[in-house]
Amino acid sequence: MENMKPDSKVMLRMTNIRKSFTGCEVLKGIDIEVKKGELLAIIGPSGSGKSTLLRCINMLETIDDGSIAIEGEYLAKEGAYVSGDKARKLLGRTGMVFQQFNLFPHMTVMENLLEAPMQVKEMKREEVLPLAKELLSKVGLSDRENYYPSQLSGGQQQRVAIARALAMKPDIMLFDEPTSALDPELTGEVLKTMRELAAERMTMVVVTHEMAFAREAASKVIFMADGNIVEQGSPNEFFDHPKEERTKAFLRNML
Amino acid sequence: MENLVHTVVLMLEGTRVTLEIFFITLLLALPIGLLASLGRLSKFRPLSLFMEFYIWIMRGTPLMLQLLFVYFALPMIGVMLPDIAAALLAFTLNYAAYFAEIFRSGIQSIPKGQYEAAKTLGMTYPMTMRRIILPQVIRIVLPPVSNETINLVKDTSLIYILAMNDLLRVARTIVQREFDMTPFVVAAVFYLAMTFVLTWLFKKLEAYYGKYET
Ligand SMILES: Nc1ncnc2c1ncn2[C@@H]1O[C@H](COP(=O)(O)OP(=O)(O)O)[C@@H](O)[C@H]1O
Ligand SMILES: [Mg+2]
Repeated sequence: MENMKPDSKVMLRMTNIRKSFTGCEVLKGIDIEVKKGELLAIIGPSGSGKSTLLRCINMLETIDDGSIAIEGEYLAKEGAYVSGDKARKLLGRTGMVFQQFNLFPHMTVMENLLEAPMQVKEMKREEVLPLAKELLSKVGLSDRENYYPSQLSGGQQQRVAIARALAMKPDIMLFDEPTSALDPELTGEVLKTMRELAAERMTMVVVTHEMAFAREAASKVIFMADGNIVEQGSPNEFFDHPKEERTKAFLRNML
Repeated sequence: MENLVHTVVLMLEGTRVTLEIFFITLLLALPIGLLASLGRLSKFRPLSLFMEFYIWIMRGTPLMLQLLFVYFALPMIGVMLPDIAAALLAFTLNYAAYFAEIFRSGIQSIPKGQYEAAKTLGMTYPMTMRRIILPQVIRIVLPPVSNETINLVKDTSLIYILAMNDLLRVARTIVQREFDMTPFVVAAVFYLAMTFVLTWLFKKLEAYYGKYET
């Protein structure tokens, strides 16, 4: 905790993150820092390690080396995650939205939202209900609370997934290509929800291929390739005056 | 006519034995099969190897042989079981193995994303299994479980060789004594009635557990 104290406003700090899959190093010493209320956009070609980086934050993968601290508290220090209970408490401060939504198909929209607060936090249905309803109205799906996921469009499902994650009141929201599985005409509604979340100063880390969204909503953009951070900066610097050849080539391809 | 009534009454008694074997086997084999499938999927190698071995033996040898083994071989090594218990032991071990394989493939067919979503929401593994995975597995395994259950109705007739008065044995006794084929027909009707009820029941269950599908 010592060296992380000075800036208490740093919500997420990852230092020298390394990760290999069976001998192949996919994260080669990544450093990132996200301050409270910031939106960090991570872009880069497929296979560059973006998902893996995100998944190390909530222990869907485990790092080999480096440190992760959430608001100054170590989740992992020099490659070793802290023990069970402490880790679970810290993980409770992050929420995750997946490319494939991963809603629980056997539960209605409302049940999807109530599930974790009721099971994990052992809250009563009546206690969670007001928040759940508020979140559904926030993502514009109040009239769908009794639908099953299979009865919703992809965009609606993803908005439910965002609401479901928010129902656990996380401090940091992680998004792994939240619009990549959607038809183009449905990405807008999901990005709109995310923009509104950003406007409420939610701290967010977003892996995305939506350059327009990154440019306009991000506080900082990181470009990753082959497990390294190639370049980072404010959206304006990054998109208008990229320094690295790799970045320029990538951006040319995306536009 | 009077004869037929008499036959049916005798056979109802045989049906009771058949139903007893059927229900108790089902009641035991389903939970044991579930536990066996979890053991089979366990990351603890000795456990998963043991379960694989158990399932292999049970599915790789005839149920008839297993029955005979429990009935005749166990007493030779000093394990004395009442007839019905011996039959139940063999049936349960056999059917639990089949159910375990059905549950295993059902569990494995649930996408990894379901576990990941549950984990990122803070749910523990037992919680995830109970609330997220198993309810979906039930929907997937209902059709094959239904098949096995109907097989079980018919397999109960194997206890015929153990000299227990099940439906089939009662029917044969009467046929031999009275030289009349009616008991076989009555037995067929009884078996059909049981499988009919089961088919109907499983259809209802599939509709109930599948209500989230469109
Ligand atoms: N579970 C895994 N096992 C083995 N290799 C993996 C695994 N997950 C990802 N990888 C590999 O790690 C690299 C980075 O993957 P990923 O983080 O998904 O990249 P991105 O999200 O930027 O497309 C890829 O080469 C991928 O094949
Ligand atoms: Mg990815």
